[in-house]
Amino acid sequence: MPATKPTTRKLTELLDAKFMARLDSLDVLSRKILQGKLQGERRSKRRGQSVEFADHRPYVVGDDLRFVDWNIYGRLEHLFLKLFLEEQDLTIHLLVDTSASMGMGEPAKALFAKRLTAALGYVSLVNNNRLSISLFADGLRTQLTHMRGRNYLPQMAEMLLTTECDGFSDFEKACRDAATSRIGSGITIVISDFLFKQGYDAALRRLIGARYDLYVIQVLSPQEIEPELGGDLKLRDIEDGDAAEITVSAALLKYYRRNLAAYCAELNGFCTRRGAVYVRANSADSVESLVLNYLRRVRLLR
Amino acid sequence: MQWLTPLVGLYAAAVAIPLLLVLYFLKLKRHEMLVSSTLLWKRAVQDLQVNAPFQKLRRNLLLLLQLLALIAMLLALAGPMMALDKGPGQRYVILIDRSASMNATDVAPSRLAEARKQAKIFVESLRGGAAVSLRDRADHAMVIAFDRHAKVMCNFTSDRRQLAAAIDAIEAGDGASQLGEAVTVARAFAQPAGGEADASSAEARAKLVLFSDGRIRDVETIVLAQDELAFHRIGQAQDNVAITAMKARRSYEQPEQVEVFASLANYGAEAVTRDVQLGVNGNVRAVRSVTVPACQTDADSATPVPGKVAVNFSLAHNGEGVLEVRQLTADALTCDDAAWGVLEPPKRLSVLLVTEGNPVLESALRACPIERLDPCTPAGFEAMDRALFSMQNAYDVIVLDNHAPARLPRCRYLAFGAVPSGLDVNSPRELESQMIVDWRARHPVLQHVNLTNLFAAQTRMLELPRDADVLAEFNESPALAVLHRRGSTFLLAGFDVLQSNWPFEPSFVLFCYNALNFLATQAGGGEQHELSVAEPIALESVSAKTVTVTCPDASEVEVRPDPGGSARFPATYRVGVYGVDIPDEPQRFYAVNLLDAEESDIAPRQEISLSNLTVAAETQAIERANVPLWPVLVLAALVLACAEWLAYNLKARI
Repeated sequence: MPATKPTTRKLTELLDAKFMARLDSLDVLSRKILQGKLQGERRSKRRGQSVEFADHRPYVVGDDLRFVDWNIYGRLEHLFLKLFLEEQDLTIHLLVDTSASMGMGEPAKALFAKRLTAALGYVSLVNNNRLSISLFADGLRTQLTHMRGRNYLPQMAEMLLTTECDGFSDFEKACRDAATSRIGSGITIVISDFLFKQGYDAALRRLIGARYDLYVIQVLSPQEIEPELGGDLKLRDIEDGDAAEITVSAALLKYYRRNLAAYCAELNGFCTRRGAVYVRANSADSVESLVLNYLRRVRLLR
Repeated sequence: MQWLTPLVGLYAAAVAIPLLLVLYFLKLKRHEMLVSSTLLWKRAVQDLQVNAPFQKLRRNLLLLLQLLALIAMLLALAGPMMALDKGPGQRYVILIDRSASMNATDVAPSRLAEARKQAKIFVESLRGGAAVSLRDRADHAMVIAFDRHAKVMCNFTSDRRQLAAAIDAIEAGDGASQLGEAVTVARAFAQPAGGEADASSAEARAKLVLFSDGRIRDVETIVLAQDELAFHRIGQAQDNVAITAMKARRSYEQPEQVEVFASLANYGAEAVTRDVQLGVNGNVRAVRSVTVPACQTDADSATPVPGKVAVNFSLAHNGEGVLEVRQLTADALTCDDAAWGVLEPPKRLSVLLVTEGNPVLESALRACPIERLDPCTPAGFEAMDRALFSMQNAYDVIVLDNHAPARLPRCRYLAFGAVPSGLDVNSPRELESQMIVDWRARHPVLQHVNLTNLFAAQTRMLELPRDADVLAEFNESPALAVLHRRGSTFLLAGFDVLQSNWPFEPSFVLFCYNALNFLATQAGGGEQHELSVAEPIALESVSAKTVTVTCPDASEVEVRPDPGGSARFPATYRVGVYGVDIPDEPQRFYAVNLLDAEESDIAPRQEISLSNLTVAAETQAIERANVPLWPVLVLAALVLACAEWLAYNLKARI
């Protein structure tokens, strides 16, 4: 059988051209101002030698005369120094759940997650930020690290599109590996459904640090938010095969919704207490509206 | 409490109860579905279980209810019985008139069919016993069909189907209607057996429900309580023309001539003209048109008197045959439109005279128009073959002159002097000088006979049995008597003719003439060929094994004679000619006629006048009174069960 050349997957399968055009104008924001290695376009609190003017302070003997603002001296006849913000580049880590549970849903949560990842990766790469994408199920499966610039877009698309969602999810192991491989500072975005039987506390705590913003995006399918089930069912967990026998009634569904709301609220509370940002998304929603509107509102993007 | 079939119940319980429990605890078949995570579902189920402790109770309640239902069914299988004092509710006696007047067709198809229909509606409206009540009191009814006699069609029962079947089994008849026997029978059945009659009989008195046209003969003799009888009148019209009398006779002098007398009655309000037809053996011999006057109401007693006209026919018929007088226009009642008579072939008598020598008697007998007279001595009479006698009926009359043989064949006898033995007649002594004191001048034997001067020097005293017909009396003893014994007819004279002055009286010859005529009409030892309805056909000296009787509706019935040679056919319920076939003998005919002026008057009565009260006819027609509602309720229960199933299915999905 002649070996066929595998067809290259294109980014346009995930993002359409119009969306990409809109994404061109966006940039990733960090709430905490962090330090990077290169002189990029980020503001940091460190007032250093860079080109962007930030503030004035009175001249004290011994300061560098190069930074005196002569326009103010001309007006006020007092010496003031210009202060500059030191801009640093951002490392963006995307941690995407590709366990079996993400493959469920109508529309599939995995597709939503991949599109969202593609959009955020696009914005990062286009603005010359350092991007690292890790796909995890039980531990990190695939990683693309140290990507910078548009050249890496096809690679990102290839990785996203060729990965299938299966496997058991071990979130803690994944976060542990991701945290150790994280260098420098930047933004960590976790995209998952967060329905982990082992819990997410310990895992997420690993990702929280002084040098990283944490964004938690929970993607749920409409069937998980508003289940339309009836009768006597045996529900089988797709990941561990665990079975739950239920008899659907109005009371049961009420309790389910209550539990779901409580779970999401608990995750939200956890994030808020630790300075992370929690975003809940429905896989039936459009990625565009999430990215263009909501993520700008929570100041992930600008 | 009794258990009819306890073992069945036990076995069924041993099988069914464990089965129910096993079924209950078997796992439910569940539909399998993949979900992304059962984390939240398990929490929801736990919440549900924790927050609804009533769930457990409800599950157990269902089990309990099902167990109870199963136990109830098993108990029912075991057949429990409880002895309760369960008396019947109201009791009814349904009396249905099936006399001739009920065959009138003024109410389609006939009054009897209408009566049956109304009776069946009445039966249907009886209150049946409730199925789920312990002290149910079902209405009981019995069915009696009556004409002259009462026939119980069905005894007291609350089974409506049985009653309806009994009502349907009532056949039409042509008899007269009399209520006395029916009421007596009804009262006899209505009495509860045993000593509980006092407590319950007062309230459980049966009600009589009568379906008739009211033409009942003996109502004045019946005593009933108030409200005991409900009379439902059947029938409307009164117009009817009927043959109420018919007689066919051969003249004694000219036996070839037949005289037929018939009388027509008109019960309608207008005079009508009818054609009356006479037929012999199916051939029409004469037709006459007569006008019958209208029915008049008697001014004094307010009873309607029908208009009558008499019709005479005279024809020559030399042989035997069946006469039919028929009124040709069909009217409401057909069974009185024709009358039949049976003609004997003209016959001159053969007389055997057993005497030592009595020229007076012999010459008197020879003066009568007889075929032959054979004198015979007593010794010669004894020597005759008796068997030959009975078979051939060689002699019509045997005259015994002072001869009392021990055994006599069946025949008609005129006995003077000695009384034959075996007749239950005692003659203890002789009497002297007897004069006739009284005689029955209207009896056929003594018609035109004047016995005033009859004097007997010597006579036997006669002690006669009660059924003997005394015709003339001496001062101390009966002189002449008619007696029927063992199929023979005896005309007894206790005195010897030669011991009296009778031969010198002109009445002697007349007496002999009348006696022979009379004895000749007692043909067949008392056999009657013209009968009224329900009178049995009695056959004597039948030596065959079976006799076939052909009814007017062409059906045939086999009758077996008893060892004495007698056979009876009592089922002459319809008018017409009945043919009797005895093997090796020519066919005999019997005519059954209605000939009843009362029954032919078909105008239904508005009220029945009993001896102590008058019962008016019910004005309301019988309609269905008591309608059971349980079918409606069962249907409603079924509909509710379906609705509940539907609601459960819809609700469970939510």
